[in-house]
Amino acid sequence: MAGHPALRFIRTNATLIALVVLTVALALVDPTFATARNLSNVARQVTIVGIIGVGMTMVILIAGIDLSVGSVVGVAAVVVTLLMQYGLAAWLAVPVTLLIVGGVIGLWNGFWIAQYRIPPFIITLGMLTIGRGVALSLTNGSSIPAADPSFALLGSAYIPPVPTLALLALAALAGVYALVKAWREGRKTALPHAERDIPGIVATAVGLLLAAYVFGGGDGLPIPVAIFAVIAAVAIFVLGHTRFGRRLYALGGNEEAARLSGINITATKIIVYVTVSLLSALSGILLASRLNGASPNLGNMFELDAIAAVVIGGTSLAGGSGTIGGTIVGALIIGVLNNGMSLLGVSSFYQLIIKGLIISLAVWFDVLQKKSWKG
Amino acid sequence: MSDVVLKMEHIVKEFPGVRALDDVDFEARAGEVLALMGENGAGKSTLMKVLGGVWPYPTYQGDIFIKGERARFKSPREAMDAGVAIIHQELNLIPELTVAENIFLDRQPANAFGAIDWRRMNADAAALLKELGLSDVRPTDRVKHIAVGKQQMVEIAKALSKNASILILDEPTSALTDKEVTELFRVIRKLRQAGVCLCYISHKMEEIEEIADRVVVLRDGRTIGAPTAIADITLDQIIARMVGRELTEMYPASTRQRGETILDVTNLSVDHPSLPGEQKVKDVSFSASCGEILGLCGLMGSGRTTLVSALFGAFPDATHGDVTIVGKKVEIRSPADAIAQGIALLTEDRKALGLFLGQPISFNTTISSLQTVSAPPIGVIDADQERALTERYIAQLNVKAPGADTIVGTLSGGNQQKILLARWLNANPKIFILDEPTRGIDIGAKVEIHKLLHRLADQGVAIIIISSELEELLGMSDRILVMNEGRIVQEFSRENASREAVMEWATGARRVET
Repeated sequence: MAGHPALRFIRTNATLIALVVLTVALALVDPTFATARNLSNVARQVTIVGIIGVGMTMVILIAGIDLSVGSVVGVAAVVVTLLMQYGLAAWLAVPVTLLIVGGVIGLWNGFWIAQYRIPPFIITLGMLTIGRGVALSLTNGSSIPAADPSFALLGSAYIPPVPTLALLALAALAGVYALVKAWREGRKTALPHAERDIPGIVATAVGLLLAAYVFGGGDGLPIPVAIFAVIAAVAIFVLGHTRFGRRLYALGGNEEAARLSGINITATKIIVYVTVSLLSALSGILLASRLNGASPNLGNMFELDAIAAVVIGGTSLAGGSGTIGGTIVGALIIGVLNNGMSLLGVSSFYQLIIKGLIISLAVWFDVLQKKSWKG
Repeated sequence: MSDVVLKMEHIVKEFPGVRALDDVDFEARAGEVLALMGENGAGKSTLMKVLGGVWPYPTYQGDIFIKGERARFKSPREAMDAGVAIIHQELNLIPELTVAENIFLDRQPANAFGAIDWRRMNADAAALLKELGLSDVRPTDRVKHIAVGKQQMVEIAKALSKNASILILDEPTSALTDKEVTELFRVIRKLRQAGVCLCYISHKMEEIEEIADRVVVLRDGRTIGAPTAIADITLDQIIARMVGRELTEMYPASTRQRGETILDVTNLSVDHPSLPGEQKVKDVSFSASCGEILGLCGLMGSGRTTLVSALFGAFPDATHGDVTIVGKKVEIRSPADAIAQGIALLTEDRKALGLFLGQPISFNTTISSLQTVSAPPIGVIDADQERALTERYIAQLNVKAPGADTIVGTLSGGNQQKILLARWLNANPKIFILDEPTRGIDIGAKVEIHKLLHRLADQGVAIIIISSELEELLGMSDRILVMNEGRIVQEFSRENASREAVMEWATGARRVET
């Protein structure tokens, strides 16, 4: 980590800088990109993969992987829609689906991985196929409409602009409070955290302002975006400030040492795989709600986008290091890139190539970082 | 007979902070078995790695002569080409391939089309195996299907197929059964007769007596005395050469009174992880008391680490026997259970089994006792409290680090070890087990750790310490248990423990007649 401070700054915040550069460039090239309506759209699109990405971050943090998340999205979307067709009210169908789809699949994956040390790649690859098969057989391969009209609200309703602005102001206040507290303690212990904390502070401030611009007018804040924000906030807190979060970092950093430190490896792993499945199921429910129905192919290849978001966000595939904040930035990069390229009329074939190149670049960067730390 | 084929002169090999080989001179002859002896860490394996090109020229200083010619090996491959072959403790065979494929790995005979000539390869392998008198190993057997002893023979066959004239065997019998050892010795004698120079590393006395022609002792990276014919030296003399030093004033006598018995272990056995029916720890019983430092002595492979790891719940399914803590029988099925019972284990390999190198000091300090810095039910960690606690340990243990946020991977070995100590101190153990607590750390940190252990014992903690350094063990312990081949073979009080006596039991030179 030696070198010029500016260089070090660029290196540790590369993804964030990439996101800013990308956003500013797109705004300059195409004015429609920067409209509140378009950005609101981007946010909504990012939400679906972002929610899965939060769970995927935890899985990759413990040096695991979950390839079945896309299929869980499909199964959850199908099951919630079917339950409503059988007459269950939306407010009941949603938690039941979370529990039986997210819960059961997560327990299945987690059980084999934690108890019998089956490689996560294999067991979740199996679940990827099984899940898709279940979604297809439940629907006989065709799309089904949602029966309860109130279900659509979940994915397409808004929190109106005024309460949204109030919420954002509250969040800003909380941020300022935390900052003042940290600053006073920083003075007490005389530790210079500026270099480490400033990017986060600036990003949060800019993010809040941008959110005010995007969601403060028009229809307001889409419910899925609000849900994603809450989930991300909870996850950031859990990973950074609780015993459970510590266990994940320990487990991913050095599993044997974690076990000998008295951490219950089996339970921790199962909880993580259940969490990612629950979040994927939630993502599937939101998607079904937005589409007001389900198709068995929903969520196809979402696992790749989720993994890409996590990796671009700087979480190491080797486990033990990474953050939710990074994953959010990673998901935003993918979302902005998708949106921008579509606006600019880049063929969807080229879009795939560009996305792939960016993922490769991110992994290469991760390897470089590792080297500089070890060297 | 007096045909010197190998000569090593003034070999110096340094690792960061340690001089592993310090001006070693060494020679070996064709057609002899030269035993290389020494305590753990004396430099035996390092010397052989220099010879075998594992530590390439010029990462060491000094000269190597093979049959009078100066050799500077830059890789194991070059050493092999010059006729030097090492059979390592861990065998280097590929389990999925056949015996013949392993013997001729990367040198398979080819036919006119460049494809592997299987018939010739298998025939050549069969001839080699026959030469070694191994009638029951077929060239087409997969290596994973044959016993460890046979696998070793395959390694030897492989070395011979490369025309090795110098064969180094690093603790070859550590994983063998008695019958396999007999077989190995038969092959060794055969090779000796054929004029091969064999360097035999071991610390098992009875083997040396049986197989070696001459013996040379290494201690602290130096050769002690010239190679001596086995007939001209007694076991006691060998042991004296191995232990040498006098106790320094580094270890003051303790005046502690031993407290009540806190730990009682009866008939503890641990199954071997890969050999069914074998046991790594055999029917061990002992007890430890409050305020006592109990030393556990044994050579590598004697089962000491396995014993304490089993006690700590590391192998719940392989461990049998009863453990009683403060008079109550306890069931320890995991390290978490052990910690809940007040046991702490400072592991031998701090990087692989202890530290989270990419995480800060605070993370590493509190990971085993997060309840001390967080409150139920959610377990939110109080960062201020955690930092204050960590900084207290940094000051108390004199850790040289900028602060609680410092990444542990950037610290020196001694400071890393202190962080691990802090972790377990914070767990407030009643029984504190330390496996090689001062290995690879500088003398200053070592003394500080010794003082800390005495202080803990004074406070009534039962301390069990494992160390390969006899001097440290004798200096620190109130009582010493000696292990050999999975059993506790002898107990010494501080007063009647001497290096020679302990070493005799540890090497198996003396054993209980059964």
